[in-house]
Amino acid sequence: MSKLTTLSFMAPAILAASLAAAPAYADKLDDVLNSGTLRCAVVLDFPPMGYTDANNEPAGMDVDICKDLAERMGIEAEIVGVTWAERIPSLISGRSDVAIASSSDSLERAKTVGFSIPYMVFQFQALLPADSTVTSWEELKDLNVGVAIGTTYESELQAYKDANWADSSGEITTFQSENDTYLAVSQGRVAAGIATDTAIANIVAADTYQNIKAGPVAPFGADIVGFMTVRNEYGWINFLNLYINRAYRDGTLQELYGQHIGGTMPDLTTTGVYY
Amino acid sequence: MTPVFTSLQWSDLLFLLEGAWNTVLISVVAIILGSVLGAIIGWLMSLKNTALNLTMMSIIDVFRSVPLLIQLILFDSFVAIAGFPLPPFFSGTIVLTVYTAALVAGVARAGIEAVPPTLRAAARCLGLGYFQELRYVTFPVGLRTAFPSWLGVALATVKDSALVSAIGYVELLRASQILNTRTQESVKIMLLVGVLYFALSYPLSLLGSRYEKKMASNDHP
Amino acid sequence: MDYQFQWRPVIQALPQLLEASLVTLQVSVLSMGLGLLMGLVLYFFRKSPILPLRAFATTWIEVARNTPSLFQIFIFYWGLGEFGIFLSPYVSVVAALSFNCAGYMAETYRGGFAAVPKGQNMAARTLGMTAWQSLRYVELPQVLRAIYHPMTNQFTWIILASSLGMLAGLRELSGETQYFNSRTFRTFEFFMAAAVIYYVITKIALLVLKAIGWNLFKAERAAK
Repeated sequence: MSKLTTLSFMAPAILAASLAAAPAYADKLDDVLNSGTLRCAVVLDFPPMGYTDANNEPAGMDVDICKDLAERMGIEAEIVGVTWAERIPSLISGRSDVAIASSSDSLERAKTVGFSIPYMVFQFQALLPADSTVTSWEELKDLNVGVAIGTTYESELQAYKDANWADSSGEITTFQSENDTYLAVSQGRVAAGIATDTAIANIVAADTYQNIKAGPVAPFGADIVGFMTVRNEYGWINFLNLYINRAYRDGTLQELYGQHIGGTMPDLTTTGVYY
Repeated sequence: MTPVFTSLQWSDLLFLLEGAWNTVLISVVAIILGSVLGAIIGWLMSLKNTALNLTMMSIIDVFRSVPLLIQLILFDSFVAIAGFPLPPFFSGTIVLTVYTAALVAGVARAGIEAVPPTLRAAARCLGLGYFQELRYVTFPVGLRTAFPSWLGVALATVKDSALVSAIGYVELLRASQILNTRTQESVKIMLLVGVLYFALSYPLSLLGSRYEKKMASNDHP
Repeated sequence: MDYQFQWRPVIQALPQLLEASLVTLQVSVLSMGLGLLMGLVLYFFRKSPILPLRAFATTWIEVARNTPSLFQIFIFYWGLGEFGIFLSPYVSVVAALSFNCAGYMAETYRGGFAAVPKGQNMAARTLGMTAWQSLRYVELPQVLRAIYHPMTNQFTWIILASSLGMLAGLRELSGETQYFNSRTFRTFEFFMAAAVIYYVITKIALLVLKAIGWNLFKAERAAK
């Protein structure tokens, strides 16, 4: 073949190859911006961070953060309602772009997903039936405690039990969603449930459950939560981190906190460590 | 603090009905597509080709030996890994369709084989082509035999659609769970849901028993 | 596709998965047994001249056959909880599955009894047998023969339906798989393993039932 013919055959091939190589440079941030929709996985049975309002529309602090982020990106927000256990699968399956779902930053999860910097801090607390006589954490030792599957407090409770209450006669009952735990406690199926202080404050204040009250705080330490997303999308994670930083310093996060929870936002930093 | 729990309202009935509509939607699509696919597979199995028969049977067998819930979750995560994530409606429909097809295949095959071979041979003698014979002779006659069983499969699909809630499709059961989370009035909601499911399937099963009675009345005592 | 398959967690969890399969089998056998017994009772209630019994049986059968089994499980687990009756996931699933099975078996029995020639019951009674003896020694064996195939199908269905126990917190095979999934997030790997195990269980169950049937109905086969 003459050189010209060879070249004319190779040119389209090279062109095709370079075009094929091009998309490899588009990362998740580009994908989200191009799609025009920010899909956030939010847990909708965890008030006041995520719940459904009287019109069965998603509402809550996590929902509002998602909407704010989408607005700043210049795109639409789409809330994907998930249970605790569905957060990470929704990211892996591509059903959501980011999980703004009060996700504790555990190392175990970090093996699979990428975390942003912290955006909220909670305390784990026990939820008790109204007629319960429990006043201290240690009294829960021999009682049946309910937790939701796929949560940090599920694994922390199990670890605490194994370490400190090895001879306990109580059982840990695992439920499929956060709301199942609340239901179980109000029915009296379990002697106590574990949730976070913010959620408990909300549930107890609402009139829906007449027979539920807040219990002792769990000795698991502060629950620091961040956004979760696909582990190797560093551009996207950096963008999210910058968003949290800006939203904090321009007062947006504090405003939402005051609106949904009330009071001053807790300190998002851990003293003594850089991150 | 913003109101987080609100009580059951009439607009919630609409929300449940929307969920019921989604149940109907996914069931109808799966039944139609699954029946067509199943009929084709059933026809393939009725041809006396042993190799084809065995292959088809072993494939169908797999779909009938793994729980539908597992199939849904597995397919859902598979498409995501393969790089083309599908919304719950689509992946749910695909799995439900294939599952229905696996069941219909057996029914279709039984229906085809119930048609007297003499009848089919006669049709061919009269000059009908192979597919003409299938369409005008085998199909109507076989359908009569297969109808009750097919109806049973259709009914099962309507009920199995509840499982698609496990991969996030907001059909009737999931809608009821969302409502329940918000209002905590589980007894009322569950009763309503039960009534709705009953309303969806009972007419079908009534149709089936009426049909069976009509067929039986043709039999001599 | 840039997903890295990790099968190690699955291999490590295999012993627990197999143990949970035993729970699946337990639940299935228990539900089938209860369903067979209750189904027979329902069949007789359906034919009974006493209206309340007939109505009771018909309601049971129609509810069992026209509502999803998942819904039935939720009723037993959460629905009863509203009234202070707390059934464990195990009991709820067995109750729901046997409730469902009884409903379907009642219809199956109807077909089975119809297959027994009418004269047999009369002949047995003429020979001096009580109604119960006629049932036990004459009719039931023939009914069993007639319904054996649908019964095997029903049992397979129960094994598969037990997977719904996962959504009620039961740690049978699916529940155990979900437990590991929620810790390692290896959804595809774990549920693939579960699918394979279910396939194997179902096949083995079918083979065992076929062998039992072969053995049980030797006389009928010889008579042909």
